[in-house]
Amino acid sequence: MTYRRFVLAAFAGLPMLTAASFAHAQVAPDAAKTFIDQAGQQLVTIVNGSASTSQKADQLRQLVDQIVAVDQVGDYVLGRYKNVATADQHSQFLALFHQLLSYNITYQIKAYQGITFTVNSASVVGNDTIVDTTITRPGQAPADVGWAVDQVDGAPKIVDVIVAGTSLRITTRNDYASVVTSNGGQVSALLTAMQSQIDRHKAAN
Amino acid sequence: MQKFSSLCVKRSEKSLKTRILGGLAVPCLMLAGLLSGCATAPAQSDTADYQAYIQQNDPIEPTNRVFYNINDTIDRYAFKPIAKGYVAITNQTFRDHVSDFVTNIGEPGRLIYFMFGGKPRDAGTSLVRFVVNSTVGIGGIFDPATSLGYPETDTDFGITLAEWGIPAGPYLYLPVFGPSGARDVFSIPAEYFLTPVEAAPTSTALKAFSYSETALHLVNTRAAFLDPIDQIQATALDPYATFRSLYRQQRASQLQLIDQRDTPTVPDWYSQPAQK
Repeated sequence: MTYRRFVLAAFAGLPMLTAASFAHAQVAPDAAKTFIDQAGQQLVTIVNGSASTSQKADQLRQLVDQIVAVDQVGDYVLGRYKNVATADQHSQFLALFHQLLSYNITYQIKAYQGITFTVNSASVVGNDTIVDTTITRPGQAPADVGWAVDQVDGAPKIVDVIVAGTSLRITTRNDYASVVTSNGGQVSALLTAMQSQIDRHKAAN
Repeated sequence: MQKFSSLCVKRSEKSLKTRILGGLAVPCLMLAGLLSGCATAPAQSDTADYQAYIQQNDPIEPTNRVFYNINDTIDRYAFKPIAKGYVAITNQTFRDHVSDFVTNIGEPGRLIYFMFGGKPRDAGTSLVRFVVNSTVGIGGIFDPATSLGYPETDTDFGITLAEWGIPAGPYLYLPVFGPSGARDVFSIPAEYFLTPVEAAPTSTALKAFSYSETALHLVNTRAAFLDPIDQIQATALDPYATFRSLYRQQRASQLQLIDQRDTPTVPDWYSQPAQK
């Protein structure tokens, strides 16, 4: 069970893919639980609603912008290459990162029809407050997902999704770093790969 | 297949290590050695890129990617269609019981790994799980041990070696088996022998059981990862790197969980020493 839950949970968390270890003002566990509970219920309401897929995608994009520190997550994912990128490349990267996040959310809407969301507990781990939840989908084993919450710009925001000790921000960072490394350390190659991915999504939809 | 092995990682390998696949390990490794192409390290003066290269610790990445693509092709045309058919004719409850059954067969092996790794508490948990689930749980089809406070803690010989202080070493992507490493690869031959089936007297019925169990586990595990793996393929810029990252993070997490659960506690019945 452990592994199946791990993997299922890892991708149950993908719509919220985010994270970053930037502004490290901690959020009290109770406040983090309340925040995640409200965010989760909003997510469930949208995903299980009767709106069309495109409408749901728009609603989810707005929700993600509210509850996730997308720019900071993008910077974390870019990692050490933020120092290599030019200012223009950096802003281009963040724009593409927002777009990719939107397309990834859209891709998964249908898969999460019938989702339920339960908040279990919260605790401070390092610089973040981790809220443990259980996500269930019809015909699937329950998935345990941890949400790292941090205080960003004066409000609690999701900065990572953790499943069985596996961080989605680190996974994405390694994914992107591999693209750059495979192309001689050129950030431009990452931007090209991101744009290609977006183009593929557009063609598929 | 690549996907199957990638994410199923240890748990699903519990059955893969059985006799059908276990015998492939050595030839596969030899083949890997023969074909090994090495990744070119960036110049150390290129700090960001060089650090990324060192962190990846994947010196034979070109070869690993070849095997990744081979496994991916096998999966696309064999395992995935079979798994989809399996999902169509079974429900989640059935698949959970199959998973519980296969997990139970692996408990004696885990008991030994924990003992060798100096984890008595975890070893005791594996023993209790095997006894309870094999009896009350009707041969492991059910998992009452978890409800009694004995959840599964996965391990393997690679983890035991890690407990002995042996570093993970370079990343390896093996044909059929998927993600592994210079240390973790030794878990494949070790687990080949550590199953109750292996210890039982040889018989035709036992062989049939063993092959069936292996096949069922293979399909059951691949079925569990149908959606997640599709999502990785669709959303990752470099799925190979994503699977590599997930594998490494999961191994580190597994070690952490084992240490966490092996913490000694004082039984309620034991009189506490007076506080000074």
